[in-house]
Amino acid sequence: MSKNLSELSGRKGLHGNLFEKLGDAATASGTPSEDEMKSLANDFLMGTANTYGATTFYDFLKPDNKNKKVYTCSGSVCMMAGTQDGVKTSLNKHFKEEEVGHMCCLGRCHENGAFHYNGKNYSDKTDEEIASIVKEAVPYQEDTYNVYCHGTPILTQPFQGVDKLYQGFKGLLEKDQNELIEIMKASALRGRGGAGFPKGYKLESCKNTDSDVKFIVCNADEGDPGAYSDRYLLEKQPHLVLYGMMASGYMVGAEWGVVYIRGEYPESVETTEKAIQELRAANLLGNDILGTGFNFDFKVIKAQGAYICGEETALLSSIEGQRPEVRVRPPYPTQEGLFNKPTVVNNVETLASVHHILNHGAAEFTSIGSEKSSGTKLVSLDRCFNKPGMYEVDMGTPLRTVIETLGGGFKVPVKAMHIGGPLGGLVPISAIDRLSIDFETFQKEGFLLGHASIVCIPEAFPLIQYLEHLFEFTADESCGKCFPCRLGSVRGAEMLHKAQHESFKIDRELMDDLLETLEKGSLCALGGGLPLPIQNALMYFEDELKGFFA
Amino acid sequence: MKIAYIDNQPYEYKEGETILNFINRIKGERSVPTLCDAPNLDPFGSCRVCSVEVALEENGSCKTQASCHTPVMENAYIYPNSKEVQKLRKNIIELVLTDHPLDCLTCEVNGNCELQDVAAQVGIREVRYPEGANHLDRQKDLSHPYMTSDLSKCINCFRCVRACDEVQGQFVLSMSGRGFDSKIIKGLDQSFNESDCVSCGACAQTCPTSAISDVFQSKAIKATDKTRTICTYCGVGCNLEVSTHNGEVLSIQAPFDAEVNQGHTCVKGRYAFKFYDHPERLRTPLIKRNGKLEPATWEEAYDFIANKINKIKEENGPDFIAGISSSRCTNEENYLMQKFIRAVVGTNNIDGCARVCHSPTALGMQRTFGTGAATNSIEDLKHTDCIMVIGANPTAAHPVTGAKLKQHAIQGKTTIVIDPRKTEMARYATHHLALRPGTNVAVLNMMFYYIITESRVAQSFVESRTEGFDDFKKDILALDLAHLEEVSGVPREEVRAAALAYADAPNAMSFHGLGVTEHSQGTFTVMQIANLAMITGNIGRKGVGVNPLRGQNNVQGSADMGVQPHQGAGYMDISKSEVRELYEKFYKVPLPKEIGYKIPEMYAAALDGKLKAMWIIGEDVVQTDPNTQMVIRALAKLDLLVVQELFMTETAKEATVVLPGASFLEKDGTFTNGERRIQRVNKVVEPIEGTKPDGQIIVDIMNRMGYEQADYTGPTVLEEVSQIVPFFKGVEWDGLGENGKQWPVAEGGVDTKILHEESFKIGEGKGKFKYNAFKESEELVENEEEFPLILTTNRELEHYNCGAMTRRTGNVELLTEDVLMINPKDAKKYNIRNGDKVGIASARGEVEIHASVTKSVRPGVVSTTFHFPEIMINNITSDVHDSEAMCPEYKVVAVKVRSLVAQ
Repeated sequence: MSKNLSELSGRKGLHGNLFEKLGDAATASGTPSEDEMKSLANDFLMGTANTYGATTFYDFLKPDNKNKKVYTCSGSVCMMAGTQDGVKTSLNKHFKEEEVGHMCCLGRCHENGAFHYNGKNYSDKTDEEIASIVKEAVPYQEDTYNVYCHGTPILTQPFQGVDKLYQGFKGLLEKDQNELIEIMKASALRGRGGAGFPKGYKLESCKNTDSDVKFIVCNADEGDPGAYSDRYLLEKQPHLVLYGMMASGYMVGAEWGVVYIRGEYPESVETTEKAIQELRAANLLGNDILGTGFNFDFKVIKAQGAYICGEETALLSSIEGQRPEVRVRPPYPTQEGLFNKPTVVNNVETLASVHHILNHGAAEFTSIGSEKSSGTKLVSLDRCFNKPGMYEVDMGTPLRTVIETLGGGFKVPVKAMHIGGPLGGLVPISAIDRLSIDFETFQKEGFLLGHASIVCIPEAFPLIQYLEHLFEFTADESCGKCFPCRLGSVRGAEMLHKAQHESFKIDRELMDDLLETLEKGSLCALGGGLPLPIQNALMYFEDELKGFFA
Repeated sequence: MKIAYIDNQPYEYKEGETILNFINRIKGERSVPTLCDAPNLDPFGSCRVCSVEVALEENGSCKTQASCHTPVMENAYIYPNSKEVQKLRKNIIELVLTDHPLDCLTCEVNGNCELQDVAAQVGIREVRYPEGANHLDRQKDLSHPYMTSDLSKCINCFRCVRACDEVQGQFVLSMSGRGFDSKIIKGLDQSFNESDCVSCGACAQTCPTSAISDVFQSKAIKATDKTRTICTYCGVGCNLEVSTHNGEVLSIQAPFDAEVNQGHTCVKGRYAFKFYDHPERLRTPLIKRNGKLEPATWEEAYDFIANKINKIKEENGPDFIAGISSSRCTNEENYLMQKFIRAVVGTNNIDGCARVCHSPTALGMQRTFGTGAATNSIEDLKHTDCIMVIGANPTAAHPVTGAKLKQHAIQGKTTIVIDPRKTEMARYATHHLALRPGTNVAVLNMMFYYIITESRVAQSFVESRTEGFDDFKKDILALDLAHLEEVSGVPREEVRAAALAYADAPNAMSFHGLGVTEHSQGTFTVMQIANLAMITGNIGRKGVGVNPLRGQNNVQGSADMGVQPHQGAGYMDISKSEVRELYEKFYKVPLPKEIGYKIPEMYAAALDGKLKAMWIIGEDVVQTDPNTQMVIRALAKLDLLVVQELFMTETAKEATVVLPGASFLEKDGTFTNGERRIQRVNKVVEPIEGTKPDGQIIVDIMNRMGYEQADYTGPTVLEEVSQIVPFFKGVEWDGLGENGKQWPVAEGGVDTKILHEESFKIGEGKGKFKYNAFKESEELVENEEEFPLILTTNRELEHYNCGAMTRRTGNVELLTEDVLMINPKDAKKYNIRNGDKVGIASARGEVEIHASVTKSVRPGVVSTTFHFPEIMINNITSDVHDSEAMCPEYKVVAVKVRSLVAQ
């Protein structure tokens, strides 16, 4: 976090963007050369330590990424599915060991065996299929999965064209911004990225911050293994997301929308860019849109492999080409965000709900769901379900309905579900009936709705190994800024590893101290959220785990 | 009044205050432990050790919050040391110790390590984690003359990275990798020596452990004494804290409570102090016998000098004797030197180095405002919207102020740079007017044109507080813009944009340096800068004004003390009889009435046989004054040349008598910085054996020549000064405290941060507009045909002036020679490659120098420094002077270059 670097990056801003240039510089060999880092530092009036420091942070920019040609998925679901050794064996027939890297979750949790090659993602392929993909002998086949709405179709309604979607947009742009913000506040729409912060208040705060330049940023860095709802929206409903950004831009007085999409979702980048072109073709972008005097345009930023960029302040630093280390708050992004300018950062799904709210009114939206959880929610189901896929449900829908009615029950015996990403709670089967898809019941029962992705932990999968995986994930993805997360994630992973492979028992008091330190001491939700699933496991699976502790 | 509670006790808090500051303010510094917080850095929130518990009601349910970046909320109940936070802190430190060597007893910062202190404070007894991955095998970086690192000791608090960014603005340090493997890097993960580090030492000072330190181990507790004093280098006047043990200087740090430098200083102030006991220090008086300087006793030297001076006085009269005092010396010493020359020798032939640097500033500002000193203070940078830096390279020559100016520019606040070179400031500036050297007046006049024609004149200020505007305006409106555009080489649109930016800023401040003064139109340029402030109403309040960046540490003070041939102590005109009477009464002797020689006039008089003796203190005129050979010829003509010096400089080599003076570390007194701040210089160590404080030497000779003057001490001479210098009236040694006072200081010690708030100190109190037309330098008119390039001289960060001091420190390893900067186009034209030896010649002669091919100078302009006697660039500089103040035109020399490499 450096205000100076934000300012210097902001001099070129989104045009000739530093982060994008670092990415471009890595295209040829997988990592920028020293000369390119020097030259960029010079162009942006920064130090080489800044361009080099940023480069080394990202999986797809860092020197280790040099010459990587293919990446296997290392996400939780693929790991537990046990598909990845086979994928790797197949790939090794075509690539040298050092040419194979990994990416953490390609969002193919519905079928696994996922890998990334040549700017495309694949999953569930046989050895022969992999051979033809590598030889580029077969055309690319779009990913398919179940999509179903159980309730009001807000996010899964079939797209009927730009014209239809933007019917009434001119009227909207003629309304008073405060009036629209009041509608958003009344809708009680809460952020779908995990934290559940009311969107209307972010808009209001940004609107009330005095600045000539403001930004709307779409956080499409969906890094939670097991979640692919943002991917669904960007690939199947990009216009809903873009509409939400434009409308938000009008409400706060921002003229730029930045869609920050994770590099692990190449197809999402393509579909979003295509949708932007469609808007441009329909004269819905640029200056004086629909003759209303409103100016707006989009910039798509392709991320470079760092889970922490899903944290909004890290994401802003990332767009600026800085190291994406989590910033302190205050100032909040709505006060000082991208390039030190007021910025609203919203999750993909949050933005996709805006169209419905503005076109149907706040009352209609709050009539769906529960008191503190209005609207609908996308739920991603992994391949342990008989019918994996993407389900839109009204908030408040019982979890059992999702599992049984929609998911068709479990394909294999499952002992727990990890709901809401790696920092969500670990829900034992016994707790299913106490939960419904909303913020309240999850909080009450000591879990977290998060992204509402459901990752199943099969009976056969040792929980201790899963806990080690969670610690390792945090250790791999920690930005390294705050002491508890940087050090604690590694020490936790080490102890869990030792307990499985050596005659070592974990001091339970020390583990409890570590979890408390992470929870209370961490700067952001990565370190702060890790203890939740661990504590759930220690509580609900004491028998399975007690042998590893002293 | 807003209230929050600490341990259930109510206290008033300040709006926006962080919980950490609130608690520390109420309960005492460091009452909450922290590792990543530092007084001069923004809150960062990485260590989390400062966490406290906060509740909304008394003993209510608590939330843990990092106090360093959380603002106090009204009626919050804060529990800074609850059991829970004590446990949290202990557990965090335990984690830190899993990746930190436990070798405290042999660590250089043992006993002064923040990690050690905090670990003790939270009561760590053991590390319970099994041995795991660590970074204890990281290698030390000992590549640099000053900076060291041992990243096995690093706790990743980012303080060094932030200091490099937020304080120095250099961006040399960052972090590489992420998570557990993130590591401090210098540049592209290079060594300190390979990186672009400017050795300011801010990282070493802020590092809480010994992960980044310096060769002097400045955080080690070996020091038994610490003395606060003022830096001897530039006119910024940084406060220093000097650590000593058994009378030896160990290291220097910068105090955080210093108003001038807030815990920061530069490579010279912090690290370039080892000259003080260098083996080459002069340790005995020397008298030239048979052409050779031979050791003598002080008695012999004093007798020799007194006899010679008396003889010349008798035979030729006192006006055949002249003195050059030193801006390196204290106010008190300068006062004594001018008193000696005036009251004991009996002549006004006294001048100082200001002649060759800022004499046009003093004169130009006196002519316009009535006072020849900075109108405002550096702290005003916090209140300004626009800065204009003209003819100055502050990041090299005034590094601490330079760093502040650079922060202003980095932050995107309006910054106008007028300079032929692409200086560091110019890189970050909003407007850079890269003019041809010598055309400052042309560009400033163009600015006036746009301010007037585009109705940006601050009418009410101009009407109520100035005079002469109508005539000024008439002359400006008659300008031939096309001509000015052509001579300056700056497109008029660029000038217009800069002019309007300056005029439209609510508050605009200007800063200027020798690129303004060292010109044949130096005084006129200063007057135009002053006029620019007046025409836009930027005078007399916070965040505005005209702020010369004074060069030497005490150049302001030496002029204040009367080291000028036309004004005595306190700028009173010695040609006026009532003034003379005042001084005569005070010095108790009759005084001369004729205005004395300025430095260039001294050389001319010597060459003419009209000057027989000179006494020069701490000024290497041979190396630094223009036209070296002429200076040497002039000095050779003298019967007596007394040189008071630390080292055998080029000038000392020409002396009849050399007297070993003492450095700033070895004496008491005061220095006055560029913002008129009188600060106490406190003796750190005794003078090296065989040397004397320069003030004592002068006192000795005064007494020897029959004038009674008490032995030198800072406080007693300061008291004498305060009785004669009007604006020192309220100055008292003890009253100066640690941060000094800005003159004028009224009785009772009330000082002045901003001048001219109500009226100017001139005539009827109105500022004087005066138009001056651009005039091409004589040097170019006469020589440009044969010598088509313009040489402009400058400074580098690592060295100071003639380099007598800095070349005797580690700085000489950082920058080893003067080089000639030349644009790639010219380099190609003259067949010169980077690093080639070239000959650079002017009408005076030729010197040899290595070329550095760089776009930082424009085609047609070359630039170099004069820090090294091996080059002696002043062999070729001209003796053209400012038409008004006689400041030499170092900035415009007609030259030609040729390659000396066999092609």
